Amino acid sequence: MKPAAGLMEHPFGADYARRTPAPADAMLAAFRDQARSVFEPQGLPGPKNEAWRFTPLRALAKVPFIPAAAADDVDVTAVPAPVAVLPGAARLVLVNGVYRADLSDKIEGVEISTASDRSLLGHIATMASVPMAALNASFMGAVLSLKVTKAATTPVHLISVAAAGSQPVAFHPRLLINIAPGAALTLVETHCGLPGQATLANPVTEIRLGEGAQLKRYVQVAEQSDSFHLAATGIALAKDSRFEGFHTGLGGALVRQEIAAVMHGTGAHLELHGAYALDGHSHHDFTTSIDHHVPGCSSNQVFKGVVGGESRGVYQGRIHVARDAQKTDARQLHKALFLERGPQIDCKPELEIYADDVQCAHGAATGEIDADHLFFLAARGIDPATARMLLVEAFLADATERISEETVRAAFTRDIQGWLSRRSLKAAA
Amino acid sequence: MAVTRETAATVKEIEQYKYGFVTDIESDKAPKGLSEDIIRFISAKKNEPEWMLEGRLKAYRYWLELGDQEPDWAKLHYPKIDYQDAYYYAAPKKAALASLDEVDPKLLETYKKLGIPLLEQQMLAGVAVDAVFDSVSVATTYKKKLEEMGVIFMPISEAVHKHPELVKKYLGSVVPYSDNFFATLNAAVFTDGSFVYIPKGLRCPMELSTYFRINEKNTGQFERTLIIADEGSYVSYLEGCTAPQRDENQLHAAVVELIALDDAEIKYSTVQNWYPGDAQGRGGIYNFVTKRAACRGRNSKVMWTQVETGSAITWKYPSCILQGDNSSGEFYSVAITNNHQQADTGTKMIHLGKNTKSKIISKGISAGHADNTYRGLVRIGAKADNARNYTQCDSLLIGSTCGAHTVPYIETKNPTARTEHEATTSKISEDQLFYCRQRGMTQEEAVSLIVNGFCKEVLQTLPMEFAVEAQKLVGISLEGSVG
Repeated sequence: MKPAAGLMEHPFGADYARRTPAPADAMLAAFRDQARSVFEPQGLPGPKNEAWRFTPLRALAKVPFIPAAAADDVDVTAVPAPVAVLPGAARLVLVNGVYRADLSDKIEGVEISTASDRSLLGHIATMASVPMAALNASFMGAVLSLKVTKAATTPVHLISVAAAGSQPVAFHPRLLINIAPGAALTLVETHCGLPGQATLANPVTEIRLGEGAQLKRYVQVAEQSDSFHLAATGIALAKDSRFEGFHTGLGGALVRQEIAAVMHGTGAHLELHGAYALDGHSHHDFTTSIDHHVPGCSSNQVFKGVVGGESRGVYQGRIHVARDAQKTDARQLHKALFLERGPQIDCKPELEIYADDVQCAHGAATGEIDADHLFFLAARGIDPATARMLLVEAFLADATERISEETVRAAFTRDIQGWLSRRSLKAAA
Repeated sequence: MAVTRETAATVKEIEQYKYGFVTDIESDKAPKGLSEDIIRFISAKKNEPEWMLEGRLKAYRYWLELGDQEPDWAKLHYPKIDYQDAYYYAAPKKAALASLDEVDPKLLETYKKLGIPLLEQQMLAGVAVDAVFDSVSVATTYKKKLEEMGVIFMPISEAVHKHPELVKKYLGSVVPYSDNFFATLNAAVFTDGSFVYIPKGLRCPMELSTYFRINEKNTGQFERTLIIADEGSYVSYLEGCTAPQRDENQLHAAVVELIALDDAEIKYSTVQNWYPGDAQGRGGIYNFVTKRAACRGRNSKVMWTQVETGSAITWKYPSCILQGDNSSGEFYSVAITNNHQQADTGTKMIHLGKNTKSKIISKGISAGHADNTYRGLVRIGAKADNARNYTQCDSLLIGSTCGAHTVPYIETKNPTARTEHEATTSKISEDQLFYCRQRGMTQEEAVSLIVNGFCKEVLQTLPMEFAVEAQKLVGISLEGSVG
C-alpha cells in the first residue's frame, strides 16, 4: 500500500496485513480492524511528531519485515544461554511473541491464558496517542493474559526470544496483567534475540492494579545489535496500589520503551527507574508519562545512563498533575555520563501542573567522569581503567539500587558489570 | 463633462491597478490585508532602496508558501488569526487624546502606583505631548553626545539610508527571514524599530532605550531591532516600559537581533506590560516575538533579562547562539500570568564554540485561570568542548485554577560539556502569608513581598531604576489573585 502524502514508507502495509494470521475470534478481528483504521492514516511517527523527534524510524522503515508467524524457517529449541537463571523464579518463555509451554515452567498462583482479558484489552494502552500501541493492535498476534488473585510467592521470569529465519521478522505480542485487589506479583522480563536477520519486537503491555495491589516489574532489553524493540506499557493504578518498575537498556539497534501510568485512586504510589549502557550505534529511548489524575498520589523516577561509541540515549519524561490532584508528590531525575566523544544525549523532562498544593521537581544533567574523582582513586593506587569502571558502576548503582528484589538487583548489576568489562576489553584491544 | 468623468474613472482604475488601493494622504493608512502591493506601499512610504523591498518581497513570498503553518507546538490556545483582517501599515495619525481626563482611570491609577511622572504618563497613554516636552530635549541632548562618541542609535528606517552597509551586513543574519512563521511575517512587513551600533572599544556610557528614541511612537506592531556591539564594546539596552501601554493592535510580531563581536557585551532588558485582556479573558495583545543573539566573537557575552507581565498571549524565546570561543549567554526571566493570560516563554542556548557558558534562571508565576509554560532548549554541539550550562526553572502557583508547566529540551553531543537542569513547583504557603499578615501587611502587600522574594534573582539583574518599578509591577500584576 502507498502511504498517504508526507508519510514515511514502511513495511507494515496491506501485504504485511495479508500475511498476518487471522485473529482467533470476531471480537479480536474487530479490534484489529479498528486499530488499522487508526494506524494506516498516521503511519509510523516521523520527525515532525513531537514525541518522536529524538527517535527517527527511517532505518527501521527500510527493513523488509514479514510477520514472524509467516516465517516458516524459525527454529528455537532452547532459551539462549546468556539469559540469567533467576533463583526461585518460574520461567515463562515466548518465542517471537508466542507462548511456548514446552519451554516454560509451571507457575503457582498466576493464571496464564492465551485468551485475551477483555476487561483490559485496549483499555489501558491508548492507540490514539501511542503510535506503537496502534501498530501492535493492527497486527496483534498472540495475547497472553496473567491474572493474579492473591500474593504470588514465586516471581515470574518472562523471557521473550526474537528469532528470524532467512528474512527479517516482526512480532506484536500483547501482554495483559491483571492484579486483583490486595494481590501481588513480581515479574522479570528479559527481551533478547538470536543472531541472524534483524527482528522487531513490538510488545504492548497493559497492567491493571486493583486496590492495594502490588506489582514489581523489572524489564531488561538486550536485543541483538541490529534489532529493533518498540515497546509500550500502560499502567492503571487503583487506590493504595503500588507499582515498582525498572527498565534496563543494554543492546539493540533502536529501542524505545514507552511507559504511561495513570493514578486512578488516592494513595497510589509509583516507582519507575531505569539504567542504560550503550555502545556502537545503539539508540535507546525511555519515554515515560505519569498522569496524576487524583489527589494524594506519589511518583518517583530516576534514570541513569552511560553512553559510548556513536550511541544515542534519549529520556523523555512527562508528569501531568490534574486540576484536582492536590497533595501530589512527583519527582523525576535523568543523568547521563559520556564515556568518550561520539555519542549523543537528548533529554526532555516535562512538567504539566494544574494544581497548586503539590510537590513536583525534576532534574537533568549530563557530563563526563569527573577528573577529581579519577585523581582521588589514582592517588590510592587504582589504575585508570579500573577507576573508570568503578565510577561508572557507582553512577549506575544509584538507579539499580532502587530495585527492591535482591536477586533481580544482583542479576541486573551483573549484566551491567559484564557490559562494562566487555567494553573495557574492547577498548584495550 | 462625460469625457472628463470618463477620464477620471480611467485614471482611478489605472491607479487602483497599480497599487490596488487608494492612498488617503490625510489618514496615511493602507487598507486592511496583506499583499505584495501593501509591502510595496510600506517600502515606498519608507523610501527604501530596492534591496530592502526585494528582501521584504522574498520574505512575503516565503510566508505565502508557509500557508497556515503557524507554529502549534506551544501550549497556547487562541482563535485563528486572520492575517487579512489587519492593518499592516497602521494608522500612525490615530487621533491623540486631548488630555489625561480622557484616559481610562484604571490606567492612571496604575501609573500612580508605579510612581510615573505626569509628563511621562501623558506620553504613555497616547496624549498629545507638546513638542518642547522636557524629556524630549533631554533625549536629543543625549543623542548628540552619543553621536560624537560614534554610537549609532536611530530608527532602523533611518539607518537603512544612513548606514546601508551595516544594515545590509547584519539585518537577518541572526534571524533569517525563513526562521519561523512570525519572523517571516515580520521580515515582510516590519515598519520600524531601533538600530544600534557601538563602535570598537567603547563602553556606552548610558543605557539606551526605546523610550528615548522620540520618533518611534506607534510602530510597535511589527518592530525590528538590530543591535551590533563591535569588538570590545559594551551596551545596555532597555526595551519597553514598566507602565502598561495603551495599544489597540491585536497582533504583535517583533524581531530582535543582537550581534556581539570579540570581547563585546550586550545587556538587553525588557519589561513587557502590554494590555493583558480583562478578567474574563477578552481582548489583549497576542505577542509573538523572535529574539536572538549571536555571540560571534571570542569572549563575547549577551545577557537577556525579561519581565513579562502583560499580553494575553506571550510566545517568546530570547536565545543565544554561542559561536565564539569562551562566549557566554545568560537568560533571566520573570513571567507573571493572571486571569486568562497564557505565556509560553523560555530560551534557547546553542553552544557551538569551546568553553561556552550559559545560565538560565526562569521564574514563572501563575494565578487566576492562567497558564504559564517554560520552554527551553540547551544544545551542545560536538565541538563545544568544556561547555557549561546551568538551568533553574521555578514555578509558583497562586490558586488552584491555574497551570504551571516546564518543557526543557537538553541535547548534548560533547562529552566534556556539563549541563544541569533543575525545576521546582511550589505555592505561597499559608504560613508565609500568616507571618506577613501578623506584621500588619495587607493580603496583597504580603503576596507582592513573597513573589518579589521569589523573583529576586532575576529582578536584581535589571538596571536600578527599572528594577524598582518592576518590583512594584510584580505586585500590581497579581492584584486580585489572592483572597
